[in-house]
Amino acid sequence: MTKVPELHYTPQMVPMPELPPEQEANRLHYLNHSYGIFSWLLTVDHKRIGLLYLVSASVFFLFGGLAVALVRLNLITPTGAILELDQYNKAFTAHGTIMLFLFLIPVIPGVLGNFLVPMMIGAKDMAFPKLNLLSWYVWMAGAMFFVWQLTVGGLDTGWTLYPPYSSKYSHTNVLYAGLGIFITGFSSILTAVNIIATIHKMRCPGMTWSRLPLFIWAMYATSLIQLLGTPVIAVTIILLATEKIFGVGIFDPALEGDPILFQHMFWFYSHPAVYIMILPGMGVINETITCFSRKNIFGYKAVAWSSVGIAVVGFLVWGHHMFLAGQGYYLGLLFSILTMLVAVPSAIKVFNWSATLFKGSISFEAPMMYTMGFLVLFTIGGVTGLYLGVLGSDIHLHDTYFVIAHFHFTMVGGMLMAWLAGLHFWWPKMTGKMYSDFWSRLAAVVAIVGFIMTFIPQFILGYNGMPRRYPNYAPEFQFLNILSTAGASIQGIGYLMPLFYLPASLFLGRKAGGNPWMATGLEWQVPSPPPMHNFDSTPVVYFGPYEYSMPNGLGQLEKAGMIFSDEESTIAHAGQSLPEVIRGS
Amino acid sequence: MAANTMADEPAPVAHHFNNMLQQQSTVRLGMWLFLVTEVLFFGGAFCAYTGYRIWFPKEFEAGSAALNVGIASVNTFLLLTSSLTCTLAIRSAYKGNQFGIKLWLLATIVLGTVFLSLKGREYHLDYEEGLIPTSKRIVIQEEQPDGTFISKERSLFAENVTKVLHKEGYDTTGVYMPRVQLFFVFYYVMTGLHVLHMIIGIGLLSWQLILAQMDFFRHSERYVYIEVMSLYWHFVDMVWMFLLPLLYFAGPHTLHQAIEQFKLALGIASGHH
Amino acid sequence: MSEVRDTIHEKDEHTVASFGSTMTTFAVLAVLAVLQLSVGFTDFGPMKILASLTITGVQVFVLSVFFMDLRQADKLTWLCAGASVFWVLIMFTFTLTDFITRHMAAY
Repeated sequence: MTKVPELHYTPQMVPMPELPPEQEANRLHYLNHSYGIFSWLLTVDHKRIGLLYLVSASVFFLFGGLAVALVRLNLITPTGAILELDQYNKAFTAHGTIMLFLFLIPVIPGVLGNFLVPMMIGAKDMAFPKLNLLSWYVWMAGAMFFVWQLTVGGLDTGWTLYPPYSSKYSHTNVLYAGLGIFITGFSSILTAVNIIATIHKMRCPGMTWSRLPLFIWAMYATSLIQLLGTPVIAVTIILLATEKIFGVGIFDPALEGDPILFQHMFWFYSHPAVYIMILPGMGVINETITCFSRKNIFGYKAVAWSSVGIAVVGFLVWGHHMFLAGQGYYLGLLFSILTMLVAVPSAIKVFNWSATLFKGSISFEAPMMYTMGFLVLFTIGGVTGLYLGVLGSDIHLHDTYFVIAHFHFTMVGGMLMAWLAGLHFWWPKMTGKMYSDFWSRLAAVVAIVGFIMTFIPQFILGYNGMPRRYPNYAPEFQFLNILSTAGASIQGIGYLMPLFYLPASLFLGRKAGGNPWMATGLEWQVPSPPPMHNFDSTPVVYFGPYEYSMPNGLGQLEKAGMIFSDEESTIAHAGQSLPEVIRGS
Repeated sequence: MAANTMADEPAPVAHHFNNMLQQQSTVRLGMWLFLVTEVLFFGGAFCAYTGYRIWFPKEFEAGSAALNVGIASVNTFLLLTSSLTCTLAIRSAYKGNQFGIKLWLLATIVLGTVFLSLKGREYHLDYEEGLIPTSKRIVIQEEQPDGTFISKERSLFAENVTKVLHKEGYDTTGVYMPRVQLFFVFYYVMTGLHVLHMIIGIGLLSWQLILAQMDFFRHSERYVYIEVMSLYWHFVDMVWMFLLPLLYFAGPHTLHQAIEQFKLALGIASGHH
Repeated sequence: MSEVRDTIHEKDEHTVASFGSTMTTFAVLAVLAVLQLSVGFTDFGPMKILASLTITGVQVFVLSVFFMDLRQADKLTWLCAGASVFWVLIMFTFTLTDFITRHMAAY
């Protein structure tokens, strides 16, 4: 067994030796080492696959945004401003399904997960590179088929597809839409298998579990949920399809079926699915919050294990979506108590992040602005979830706009902000270019302000009784609805702005260099854009992932003759004899 | 290229792995992770089935009594033997015995195909007996005690399954037929998913047979790919081990019935009934 | 310092089961299958399903430990097998609790 010499304390950052301009211009990296459409469509390089996901997920995000634009514009008047009743159903269903299945679930695992997981653990690629590419193709096939079905006829069941409406009464493309979702589910499973196998088997020497970046812990927990939950929704869709095609009653009460059984099976996946969405976002936050407070994470073990805790306990709470559906009363009580429990690991993370900020040296570049937005908005979203988790108060709040506001605070205020934080944080690494600081900060402010204006009124609306998914509402709710729509427009501008300055940075941005944020982490130890095989030689890791304490520690240790770097790699490693006096955190 | 030289060199390691052991153990882990998803997949179907069985025990018993247990019993041994042959293929690959690999892979494929043929025959017999869940209804003339006939509308499926159960000597009083149809929906879905997995498995085994023909397994380190194939195949066998008691033996059957039903499957009608 | 750079997985070295071991496992599974069929053809009343599923449990154990090589697998593989069973149990327990207790209201 390889014995890695124990080093107690040295920061992981290495001042990046920049190549002279002529060499830099000719340097081969993953973007320029081969050209042509097939070098992209047939790539097995995890970094290129990450970019493929980036382009497609962004397009689907726009589609989902268009759908909600229709919804919110329609809600300007109490009787529906622009859509017919059935069109409204199709619009909110399109918004929900596209945003969940085609954006929130795949985006961070597909883009940042694919790009960063091998790099962060010091590997050359994912465990199964060809499977990785297949995963993207399967996702694209399912997603494009699904969007096509939405366009030709639509889906009006809500993203939850409840029978018997979806199987017996709806005249929309439930079957084919369900097939599209089924196919994208395979992609989730393949990506999850890849990520788990990679993290277990391909860590570089010295990269023990307790030295992994917390983004990796989060991706691991996410993949666990995907592995265990997605098959159940797959079989549920199959049963629903059987009911629809053959006119039999699996979930239809008129034919001896149980509609609540569908809800059990559906939510067994779909509740953990929301943790699939948020955990990668939380993983990103760990990386940005440490970098932009120049501080080690407070409570590494607590944060790491709370990711796993969310993954496990998240599977025990699905019945809180069914309090009013008719499930057993005592079971409802049990689900309510367990829902209280699942809030604990998330709260642990928020406390640890706050403690990380404390006495840190904080700067507010765009990634950090999105991170701050995440902290506040996700916390609000999380605590409002508790109102819904308590069985008694849920009786009043179920199926109202309170629920909508709650999950938008966690999904958009939480996950979307975290995605934007991650995109802005790793953009220089992925492209080698730095975007405009001014426009990125402005976009963050616009998005966050717009978000608050959109969704705070919805808490009030919901509490006062406005039901969700209704195209019409009582006239006294109109003012808040208009406010919400106005906020949505501002929010939309905030999300559209990166579509301009990010591509612009590819042509007009300054060269970012290997480590523009002076961050720790193995991905920052290589030039931007990274070389084809990530590392010129296998890295060796001696210390934890967030050692921000000693900015030039390696230089000082080098001076003291305690460590040396050899010609083989740009990463320093320990000498044969090491004084024990070096103590660290 | 001479046949022996490939076996003498160590197998090439994929570019992103450091050594063959890492590659082998990662491939194994990958397949086990995939099998986790398969367990949850079938588990979901079994969970739904169990819920309804708890609610409708009598009807599920009746539905099971109408199934062809003869074919199922023979299929059990076919699948079990194919698990054996698949495991023997691993050993051949480990030893570098090219003929053995092809022999045992082919045996597995053949046994699997016979299973599928018998299953197909079983579905065909079910179709002939009219045991396909449907919403169609028929009108039957029911004889009254005074000799007159009145028209009654019944579900076509209910009619058919009652006929089959009476033929098997099963008393259908107090059995509510729409729930028997629910049993049959689960029967088709669960066995159908199993059949689908077998077809995929046979496809993969055939691909490995082709690879063996192309000397892919000359490097004995590559036995791990046969091993992960066998993991999948054993899983398929495991699902059948659950399907048999849950679906086929929920209702009463006798050995005599099973033999008769198997003869029926082979087309050797005994003319007893 | 090349030995520092190699990642070695010595504990992952597997051996393949002997021919005798494979045949013995097959024989055990065949006997269990015959047992399963005999239980199926006999009328045990309410105990029948319990007996059947017990036999299935033993079959699954033998198949996974011997044919699927859990016997020499590392802890991670055992964890995969165990986790899948545990998660199926979660799904079964909560859902079936609903099926059994739904009509038992507290009021």
